[in-house]
Amino acid sequence: MKPQYLVWVSLLWSMAAAATMLEHTHRSKIAGIDVITYISNVKDVVVITGALPAGDAMADPGNAAIPTLSAMMLDRGTTNRDKFAIARQLDNVGASLSFNVGTQSLSISAKFLKKDLGLVIGLIAEELRNPKLQPEEFAKAKQQLIGSLEASSQNTEARAQEAFARAAFPEGHPNHPHSTAEVQAAAKLATLQDVKAFQAKYYGPDHLTLVLVGDVPVTLAEAEIGRVFAGWTGGQSYIRAPQTAQSSSAREFSVPLADKPSVSVILGEPTGLQYRDPDALALRLGTAIFGHGFTGRLMSSVRDKEGLTYDIGAAVTEDSITDGVWDISASFAPSLLDKGLAATRRELARWWQEGVTDKELSERKQGMIGGYRVGLSSTAGIAFAIMSCVQRGYDLPWLDQYPEAVNALTKDQVNHAIRAHLDPSKMVLVKAGSVATAAR
Amino acid sequence: MPFQSRRARLVLIRIGAAVAMCLSLSAAMAADVAGFSLIKSLGGIDEYRLDANGLTVLLAPDHSAPVVTFQVTYRVGSRNEVTGTTGSTHLLEHLMFKGSENFNDAKGNSIKQFLERVGGQYNASTSFDRTNYLATLGRESLEGYLAIEADRMHRLWLRESDRQSEMTVVRNEFERGKNNPDSVLMEEITATAYQALPYHHPVIGWKSDIEHVAISKLREFYDTFYWPNNATVSVVGDIDPSQTLNLIKKYYAIYTRSPAEIPGIYTQEPAQSGARRVIVKRPGELGTLIIAHKVPNGLDKDQPALDMLDAILSTGKNARLYRALVDHGLALNVGAGVDLHRDMSLHVMYASLAPGATHGEVEKVLLTEIAKIKDAGVTAEEVTRVKQQYVAADAYKRDGTASIAQEINDWVAIGDWAQYAIFPQRIAQVTPADVQRVAKEYLNEDQSTTGWFVPVLPQAKPVLSQTKEGS
Repeated sequence: MKPQYLVWVSLLWSMAAAATMLEHTHRSKIAGIDVITYISNVKDVVVITGALPAGDAMADPGNAAIPTLSAMMLDRGTTNRDKFAIARQLDNVGASLSFNVGTQSLSISAKFLKKDLGLVIGLIAEELRNPKLQPEEFAKAKQQLIGSLEASSQNTEARAQEAFARAAFPEGHPNHPHSTAEVQAAAKLATLQDVKAFQAKYYGPDHLTLVLVGDVPVTLAEAEIGRVFAGWTGGQSYIRAPQTAQSSSAREFSVPLADKPSVSVILGEPTGLQYRDPDALALRLGTAIFGHGFTGRLMSSVRDKEGLTYDIGAAVTEDSITDGVWDISASFAPSLLDKGLAATRRELARWWQEGVTDKELSERKQGMIGGYRVGLSSTAGIAFAIMSCVQRGYDLPWLDQYPEAVNALTKDQVNHAIRAHLDPSKMVLVKAGSVATAAR
Repeated sequence: MPFQSRRARLVLIRIGAAVAMCLSLSAAMAADVAGFSLIKSLGGIDEYRLDANGLTVLLAPDHSAPVVTFQVTYRVGSRNEVTGTTGSTHLLEHLMFKGSENFNDAKGNSIKQFLERVGGQYNASTSFDRTNYLATLGRESLEGYLAIEADRMHRLWLRESDRQSEMTVVRNEFERGKNNPDSVLMEEITATAYQALPYHHPVIGWKSDIEHVAISKLREFYDTFYWPNNATVSVVGDIDPSQTLNLIKKYYAIYTRSPAEIPGIYTQEPAQSGARRVIVKRPGELGTLIIAHKVPNGLDKDQPALDMLDAILSTGKNARLYRALVDHGLALNVGAGVDLHRDMSLHVMYASLAPGATHGEVEKVLLTEIAKIKDAGVTAEEVTRVKQQYVAADAYKRDGTASIAQEINDWVAIGDWAQYAIFPQRIAQVTPADVQRVAKEYLNEDQSTTGWFVPVLPQAKPVLSQTKEGS
């Protein structure tokens, strides 16, 4: 199949999708909440994705564990019912509801049958508004958080990610995480008063977004949200940090972990770009050419031709709300670490110096557009796309404009973005694992 | 090749749900296409046989989105390997992406080039009983992918140079698995539980076999098992059945059946005559307990009751193991499930120990919970709750074509795709007495293999250290 034909097919599809996406979407402000519904073709199934600015970055200097502990307390009982009663209501209808904490957001995820819409929306409101916060449940939550952090402390990928983000972003930036040890220590000292204060400050409708996708009865859903969230107030906005300065020099860190036959490696730097910045999409397209999939340059050379790793790739992340980061992640046997890093740096230098080709650009554009479309074939994929659109600061028409924006990018824009926002000579390198034996 | 070489799982393959829901896949209108025989229709899926060579074809039309998932499942897995060739099925799966006569990198139309150009989501995986290749892509790209899959069924390049470079890729995949003490523990439990059946060795193989297996052995494997009569093609999504069958005929009917019968497995596992135990000691922070029991094959009449038992034990905060272990501060996570196999399957219960908890006390509490079920059974309320979860799960699995294809794939591996539709009916028939009976029959000490991961203090503390700075 010729690339030109693919361009034509994809454009036709994106034009067709443009009407469809927007037609199926409804957005309104209900009880202070940004509510977006999308009716898809799936029968009986509804998913809810929510985002509330109450993530790890919102932790007060005194206690890094409070955002996570606050979220962990939500399904452990409300003023109306205990945790087993909540779980029983969900289990009896096969519904799921969970809360998770990320860098800036408390995310809400629910999946249920259409008939159970009222039950699930009611539980979301009840858990957010009226958690019981019992001391014995708080003690269990602290123990589980401390335990899960202990377990992750031996995970090479988690340790590499943590070390890299701490080195790449300055202290105080939302993308600069607390260390595992800091969070463990903080969890031991955390009090229920801390949790109450955090929830009072951050849990509210003002910046909460709820996205409902699937076989959604829109009128009923909006009415239910209005009813159960009526009278709720408060909430804080996301943290908009000043742009991160580029590193002035290369830095290298090791996280030694014993008895790990595979070393996790991350090499990269902050981009200084948010998703909506003019060069950001061009940098993503260039990064896809370099580090996505098996035809990306990293996989096709470092894995496919040279056999040095099972997995290697590059990505731009954490740029929805603040400026983000660009990195290569890979794994190497300790005995192949030096050779693998040399091959990785060789490909990085070639990409940065020479840029991408017309052929790569054309093919990857179609791949990104096609992949976007395939991603919209499930409720979870649609919900993710809508939430990303909102968090990145776009209006909903962006959902349909994205393919055109990708298609409009030129080779010059892509190569300019790579050179302007990355510098391989000043990147941060982290190696986590049995690095002491890496000299072999 | 890609990113999931599946081995023993700690969760049950929860397949299917109420049969009424299955019917809401577009009512399958069986197509009448010359060269195909309609075998049966069930749960919105039509099964055909390609008369020319015995290829099995499953069509599941679903027009909720303009995408299609196309999958080929070969009925060959690590169960078909012997000493010296362990891991060959998986290594061959990797080499399936190195190019075939008509589709390869040099021509610019290899499978990865094509699928990434059209934005397809694709993967392949190997398990004990099967190897599968699948992609989800726009409906207009179906023929392009189908042509490549068909070509590599019979015209695969198998070159020593590719084996050499891919061997180190697979070895790194092996090493990544060894980073996780829990996966090492599960591997040792499986090797201990199975003495004779080839499930004894890991799907990815022993390291020395990965490194040394000859390309001629891989060729032999390919020539023995990659035939239409040993494969099932599944197509789920926005398809026209007649057009799809004609496409399949166009690309697959050119092949013959295998010249020899596909070799079977006649080995049987001898009876276990007492409890077995393994201990893995490695650097780490928290311990793990796994208790495994051999149970009948994946199609056995007792599997639905075992599934029900596992949901009662481990699904949700009201599950018995959650209440007894997690809620009492003894474990961080618990789970129970059956890794369904074509031959004898493995039932697994596990607990990740909470800080301060000991293996002995966690094991004692877990076994006490099993004893309670053996003695007093489970409640009607618990059984009803799990049945309701199946009803919901059936609706959820229609949300995306790939999930349907994956579930079909799991049942093809075990030997009967129709269980995709039938298993929920069987769940609906399970009674509390059935659950108590299977607990008594299978979860016995003499049939058990118990494993502990015991963390030892790491030599190197995981402390970040800056090792270099420069311009």
